[in-house]
Amino acid sequence: MSKINDAIAELRHAPGVKGAAVITNDGLVAASSLATGLDPDVISGLSSYLMMTTNRSLTEGSYGACTKMLINATHGKAVLVQLDESYLVVLFDQFAEVAQADREVDETVTRIRRASKLA
Amino acid sequence: MHLIQRMKIWKELRRLEQRAKEQPSPSTFVDLGQVYINLDLNDKAEGLAEDGLALFPKSIELRQLLDCARRGLRNRRAAELRAKLTRAPSPKLFRELALIQMDLGDSNALHATCQQWSLRFPDDAGCWLMLGQARLTSFYRDLAAREGQEAVQCLERAVGMDPKEVQSRRLLSEVLYRVGAVHEAQKHVQVLREIDPADQEVEQLLSHIATLTDTGAELSVLLDEVESHGSLRNASLEAAQPAPSAENSISEVRTGLARVLELAGVEKATFIRGSKAMVKGQIKDGRDPFLRIVRVTAKAAHRFARRLDIGSASKTIVEGDFGRICICVFGEALAAAQCASDCDVELVLSELQELVAGALHAVEE
Repeated sequence: MSKINDAIAELRHAPGVKGAAVITNDGLVAASSLATGLDPDVISGLSSYLMMTTNRSLTEGSYGACTKMLINATHGKAVLVQLDESYLVVLFDQFAEVAQADREVDETVTRIRRASKLA
Repeated sequence: MHLIQRMKIWKELRRLEQRAKEQPSPSTFVDLGQVYINLDLNDKAEGLAEDGLALFPKSIELRQLLDCARRGLRNRRAAELRAKLTRAPSPKLFRELALIQMDLGDSNALHATCQQWSLRFPDDAGCWLMLGQARLTSFYRDLAAREGQEAVQCLERAVGMDPKEVQSRRLLSEVLYRVGAVHEAQKHVQVLREIDPADQEVEQLLSHIATLTDTGAELSVLLDEVESHGSLRNASLEAAQPAPSAENSISEVRTGLARVLELAGVEKATFIRGSKAMVKGQIKDGRDPFLRIVRVTAKAAHRFARRLDIGSASKTIVEGDFGRICICVFGEALAAAQCASDCDVELVLSELQELVAGALHAVEE
């Protein structure tokens, strides 16, 4: 578990990242590193609603599951990446270049997957 | 207020805030907004109404809440300005106060302000312009000859005091040609052209007036005619200009969708506004799952962003074994495309954005 926490904490230092969290498919926060003012429970609730709604509509349309989602909003950005039994949520400020942080996000995903398998 | 009473109110407020978060609906937002307004927290009520309208854009109650909150904020600002004017009067403060009172529709207060303004600063034409504007608004609404006469008098006085002032002359010329005093209006528009020869709008106005016929009657007679007929003799420049036709707007959307579909890797594209959707590419009919996925995802992303306090979700990308679905939202309009994993997402999104922005004024079919 500490390896997942370490990976999340490291990702948090990437430019423009305001917070990151690993959330299980049923909406529990497995690990998180968030800026002050960001509530992990709120983020887990909102992101599980988003992932569940999107996945349900995709499955009903025989599209298969969503592996990654990127949201670009007026005052911030968010990336959600599906892991095995959970997903990673990364929140950025509005000025962040998400494409530039792709490498860090991918690395974190690999580290979390490896740590989950070992566990 | 008693301490216990105050504690009870704050407790109720917290309960309503929690309810609005957990069960967002127009009624929960309005209940909370009313408490904010009662506590004189109009700025919070305004923010809440805006958030609510983002989720429920057709709610009349939320619009009323927004109006009420804005009215409260204007009243507060008006009180501040009145206090400032007592200490240090200036034309700028008088103008701001008069504008707020005009927005609030408080004509008595507006007249009192303009009276004070003209007494303190008799050489400033601003108060006559404000009064003229207020009278003109009433005239266009009720078509009462007396209001029209007073509006013209106020505007003529403003023009006489400051002949280089454009706004009063423009308003005066408009009311004159609309009631039928075309020659008189033409003179004012000629002066406007001399003031700013590069103004295209003045040129348009001049050519619009040239198409109208002058009745040759006195202004008071013309105003009486307007009152008895219940309509103005001539249409305004804006009303006379042809509106963008539905066919033009829709053909633009169609062309935009075709352009998106031409991009490498794009399989299907859609433009959705309200309950109507226009599609291009491999889409069978209105029941194609792609349309539902786009609608559901856009709505979920919008709620996610609003509740997370990061504004409105304008662009969303969903990736999976099917490739990518790119969605671009602006106001009520939404454009989306399904494309292969290796396509240029930035290019697709920029085309979708162009499509949505260009179609904002599209007239509903």
